[in-house]
Amino acid sequence: MIRFVDATKIYSNGVIGVKNITVNIEKGEFVFIIGPSGSGKSTFLKLIMHEEVPTEGEVYVNGYSVHDMAHSEIPYLRRSLGVVFQDFRLLPNKTAYENVAFAMQIVEATSREIRRQVPLALGLVGLSKKAKAYPDQLSGGEQQRVVLARALVNNPAVLIADEPTGNLDPKTSIEIMNLLEEINQRGTTVVVATHEKSIVDSMKKRVITLEHGEIISDVKKGSYSNEN
Amino acid sequence: MKIRTMKLLIKEGAQNVIKNKLMSFASIMTVVATLFFLGIVLLLAVNISSNIEAMKRDLEITVFLNVNATNYQREEVVSFLESKKDAGIISEYRYESKEQMYQNIKESLNDDSLLEGFTVDNAAESFYIKLVDPNSSDEIITELSRFSGVNKDNGIGYGKDELDKLEGILKVFNYIIMAILAVLMIISVFLISNTIRLTVFARRRQIEIMKYVGALDSFIRWPFIVEGLLIGLIGAVLSFFITSQVYKWLQGFINGILVNLKMATLRIMEFGPVAFRIFMIYSIFGMVIGGIGSLLSVRKHLNV
Ligand SMILES: Nc1ncnc2c1ncn2[C@@H]1O[C@H](COP(=O)(O)OP(=O)(O)O)[C@@H](O)[C@H]1O
Ligand SMILES: [Mg+2]
Repeated sequence: MIRFVDATKIYSNGVIGVKNITVNIEKGEFVFIIGPSGSGKSTFLKLIMHEEVPTEGEVYVNGYSVHDMAHSEIPYLRRSLGVVFQDFRLLPNKTAYENVAFAMQIVEATSREIRRQVPLALGLVGLSKKAKAYPDQLSGGEQQRVVLARALVNNPAVLIADEPTGNLDPKTSIEIMNLLEEINQRGTTVVVATHEKSIVDSMKKRVITLEHGEIISDVKKGSYSNEN
Repeated sequence: MKIRTMKLLIKEGAQNVIKNKLMSFASIMTVVATLFFLGIVLLLAVNISSNIEAMKRDLEITVFLNVNATNYQREEVVSFLESKKDAGIISEYRYESKEQMYQNIKESLNDDSLLEGFTVDNAAESFYIKLVDPNSSDEIITELSRFSGVNKDNGIGYGKDELDKLEGILKVFNYIIMAILAVLMIISVFLISNTIRLTVFARRRQIEIMKYVGALDSFIRWPFIVEGLLIGLIGAVLSFFITSQVYKWLQGFINGILVNLKMATLRIMEFGPVAFRIFMIYSIFGMVIGGIGSLLSVRKHLNV
């Protein structure tokens, strides 16, 4: 599903993003990417979605060779991924419903498909009642739910989340994580970058730890503090 | 691309124009000014060439006979002109006797004292010849100069050379204007691309989200292109309206002056017959300017 083969990303200013990453994430897995700030978590995720390309090595995602990809193929890679960010990134002039529908319009879904799928996605994240609300009328947790609905509505094989709870209080963070787990149980591969120790520890998932851009541990059913 | 997607993209583009009122207004005015200048230059060129053609068709070869030319010598010239008329080279000609010339001069001078010493006897007979094709003038003039009755020293006059010279100058003038126009177009393309760049900038978040969700480049690009095309088209329609009004006013004004100056062969053309062509040219140029402008401004935002 996702495979890194000795992948290294060095930014144009010479800073190392990630270094010699070799890793395999199977279909249906739930994986945490953890490590201190600046350790390369975001870079790792950016390599998956082709926001950055590796300077060396190979990256395979959902059957695409991301390290060596035609520009015209990128949209199709992205359609096989759902992405969630710390800062939500919703369109402020569209309602929750419209934000989710927009993701379907972009991939040219029919209006019938849109009418069927959008309420389902909003129902899944528990936001059916706020469909008509604009982002600024929603709490942080609610906004992140809309983002999740948007990421899921096109049924991606992989969901990528970069610090999805970074702007949320602990209680809401747990709710969002539970939602991610639920999504994972429906068959979607989930990769979450975070540095929230308590959540990682409590969820007993696979944990890949980065430091200075390198993988220093990779543990099934691990925790943040686990040094293997 | 599917129809409903196209509708969506056109709607987005149109909304852009309306949302960014001030920027759209600035761009539209740029198009209006560029096209207005283009139109005035085109209309000027069309008028000049049509008037030159009319003047050429109106142009006469004047042939004076010697003061002491005989009837026989005159008849020689007449039969030559008749044969050329039959051959379809001369469209018409007119003869003026000594008496007529004397009268004409007398009338035009308006003051008999100036006529002193000038009598019917030292007036000359003359022919005024119109050609079917003004370009055959050289040949006719050479043949006419061989007749013994024709006055060899400045007896044959024709204005074509002057017109040709004028045409040559105007051609150079045309090139200069075309160069100015090209520069003007490039400037307006850049002005518009800057305007649309601002709207692209304002919507970079939306573009970013679209890319994360997997929008094709064309999907991202089209609303902006539609925006550019719309700006171009609106500018074209406005400019066409302004041009037609200004032209009609100028036409009446200049034609009035020409009539007063008794230069009625010169005439500013009607707008009606060229209106459709001008409108098409405006629309096409407007949309090309707008389209290229917007393409330039989105291009660099698509490379992620
Ligand atoms: N666009 C960039 N240009 C240059 N350096 C970058 C860029 N993005 C990240 N970096 C650097 O790469 C390293 C890893 O960053 P990042 O992947 O964002 O880490 P994390 O997400 O774990 O905080 C850091 O040293 C960071 O400063
Ligand atoms: Mg990060």
